[in-house]
Amino acid sequence: MSWVEITWIVMSAACLTLGVIHLFVWFKQRSHYAHLLFFALAVSATAFGACELVMMRSQSHAAYAATLRWAHVPLAMVVLSMIWFVHFYFGAGRLWLAYAATGFRLLALGLNFVTGANINFREVTAMDQMLLWGGAVVSGPVGVVNPWAIVPQIGNVLLVVFVLDAAVTLWRRGGPVARRRAAVVGGSLVVCITAAAGFAALTTLGIVHAPTIMLPGVFIVVLAMAYELGWDMIAAGQLATQLRASEQRFRAVVEAAPSAILLVDDRGTIALANAQAEYVFGYPRAELVSQPVERLIPERFRVPHVRLRDTYSREPQTRAMGTERELFACRKDGSEVPVEVALSPMPTQEGGFVLVSVVDITERRDLERATARQRDELAHLSRVAMLGELSGSLAHELNQPLTAILSNAQAAQRFLAQSPPRLDKLTEILSDIVKSDHRAGAVIQRIRSLLRKESAQRNPFDINDVVEETLHLMRSDLLNRHVVVRADLGEGLPAVSGDRNQLQQVLLNFMMNGCDAMDGRDMDGGLLVRTRTTADGNVEFSVADRGTGIPSADLERIFQPFVTTKSHGMGLGLTICRSIVEAHGGRLWATNNSDGGATLHCELPAQRT
Amino acid sequence: MQDQPPTVYLVDDDPDILKAIDRLLQSIGLRVVTFLSPQQFLEDYDRNAPACLVLDLELPGLSGLELQRTLEQEASALPIIFLTGRGSIASSVQAMKHGAADFLTKPVDDTDLIAAIRDALARGQAQRISRSERERVAKSLSSLTDRERQVLEQIVAGRLNKQIAGALGTSEKTIKFHRGNLMRKMGVRVVADLVKLAERAGVGSGPRA
Repeated sequence: MSWVEITWIVMSAACLTLGVIHLFVWFKQRSHYAHLLFFALAVSATAFGACELVMMRSQSHAAYAATLRWAHVPLAMVVLSMIWFVHFYFGAGRLWLAYAATGFRLLALGLNFVTGANINFREVTAMDQMLLWGGAVVSGPVGVVNPWAIVPQIGNVLLVVFVLDAAVTLWRRGGPVARRRAAVVGGSLVVCITAAAGFAALTTLGIVHAPTIMLPGVFIVVLAMAYELGWDMIAAGQLATQLRASEQRFRAVVEAAPSAILLVDDRGTIALANAQAEYVFGYPRAELVSQPVERLIPERFRVPHVRLRDTYSREPQTRAMGTERELFACRKDGSEVPVEVALSPMPTQEGGFVLVSVVDITERRDLERATARQRDELAHLSRVAMLGELSGSLAHELNQPLTAILSNAQAAQRFLAQSPPRLDKLTEILSDIVKSDHRAGAVIQRIRSLLRKESAQRNPFDINDVVEETLHLMRSDLLNRHVVVRADLGEGLPAVSGDRNQLQQVLLNFMMNGCDAMDGRDMDGGLLVRTRTTADGNVEFSVADRGTGIPSADLERIFQPFVTTKSHGMGLGLTICRSIVEAHGGRLWATNNSDGGATLHCELPAQRT
Repeated sequence: MQDQPPTVYLVDDDPDILKAIDRLLQSIGLRVVTFLSPQQFLEDYDRNAPACLVLDLELPGLSGLELQRTLEQEASALPIIFLTGRGSIASSVQAMKHGAADFLTKPVDDTDLIAAIRDALARGQAQRISRSERERVAKSLSSLTDRERQVLEQIVAGRLNKQIAGALGTSEKTIKFHRGNLMRKMGVRVVADLVKLAERAGVGSGPRA
């Protein structure tokens, strides 16, 4: 065998091997048509190589002509594979050029079988034995050119133009990978097709005396394509490695996170849980993954949660969960822990996931509770002290109904002692006694509830009721101090929610402060108690006095502890009031009146309906 | 006027108390008129009727003590019984200084209140009687002639007819005549009554002193 034959066999075998490899690749990735087309190209190239080998070794001109005719079948396959490989692999190129090149090649194939000896020669008249470098002898044809040979040449030109156009488009698109691909595949195609087709034309026309050899050009193209496809596979491999590393990092980060983290799919199934999640929920990981997330929610919230989850998955966004209420998680042992939950959506190809981060806030809650307890205790102490100051007034409020009861009862005794007894008066008297008794009971009730030491309650109530009740409690004290109180109560105020006793304490404090501010002033001193709805829909109550006013530098200072203008008292009253009001989500402030004296204001949020 | 039954005026801003005390006083047959405020009382009360006032010390607007002051300025003889829920020493001293009849604390026992009212009414009555007697004596005195008045002064001073005649430079018989006239004018039969009456009217003490 000559080196030419060995080379041809090696090139064909290489083409076949590469083709088969990519056939397997295509089996694994059916959507990657480039691999299938490469397989077709490589196999066709192998077949064409075999035909060329036969031609080079043919001894009769008839056999040569027949083989050349049949060689055009794999050649057409090679050309078509190239066209569509470029189309799919580049994702560029004008489709009409692709169709035109395809059409001309198929037309050439048809004409190959119906005109002349083949598309190249009308007839092959003789064989020419050519001695090549290294002593190899190959056959070459001598004959008359088929006039239809222009058709495949036009097809080749179209092919080159199509590839050139596609490569330029891809190049322009930018990116190092795209450019390399355009240069390597596009460049090799253009150069090799031009060279092979031009060489074939020259030999056919008899201008150059040489055998028809196209396999090397095709082989170079095959190698170029295989190189590029190989690069793709290498890149995919690298990507997979990077992905694995990235996933490992993700898992490591999730694992190390200080809060419990769950990855939940759109059906509410837990896909991933970290170590902290095991700790917070008390389940081993195996009992969390693949389980519905609802098992971590107290039973009473499970059904609404499914509904809320549906709503969320329709409009996923990063946010905190249940900001308006307290959330609880249910642990494996059935206990509940207060939690804070943040949600962030993670859309993936496998559906929408939600990354749920859960923080156990038991400690924070405990701390808040301890703070609230201290505040309540302080408020209670200050309330008791204030009631002490008011005790005279309170005693008077009790004394009034007691006086009425005694006189009524003694009147009844006297009516009964008369002869005949005046029984007719008794019904009325008894009902009055009952009424007075209720009145006294109500006073005691009020005092008792103010004295009672209990944690703050939250109930809706009307601030006007509190004002009226407070005016009643202080009535005697106000009379004694010659303080006239006017009340300007807003109508239709929204209810406020909170601890009635504590807020009454604030009002009492305001009024006593007002009275103290007016002590020793003229007798015409008066307090104005106002309630109103603010522009924001909140409720404000204020107490205006006609005292000495507050130096403007002290308007804020008076709420600080141990700041007092009085000879008695610790200067804690308003400080405690402020802490009470702030715990209610409201605010306290002081202003000076334009016509003298100061006003203390308290704004409370209206109860949400 | 003396026959008119006495009235008890009640002033308290607490309607329950007003009603209860009203009832209590009615049970012993007293005539009661109630007022919720001192202003109302000042407008409506009968200044001439025999009465007493039961007054709450702590009242909005015009306080009990201020009402007492007002009545004092009107030279009213109305006895006032104060009722208080939280009687301070200062206010009770002030009330008594200005002639309060009594000072009771709430809740008030019926016997105490009734006794105080009876007492006040009686005192009011006595004041009323002494005042009318004083008026009658003054009227009688003013009907005496100058000579009769001189004779009266001598009688009150304890002189005998003879001494008086000597002092006034007239006869014992004339003195007897004047004496008869002035006894009649003053409406007394015995000298002892005359002396008592004249002393109460302040006759005789003046020139000698």
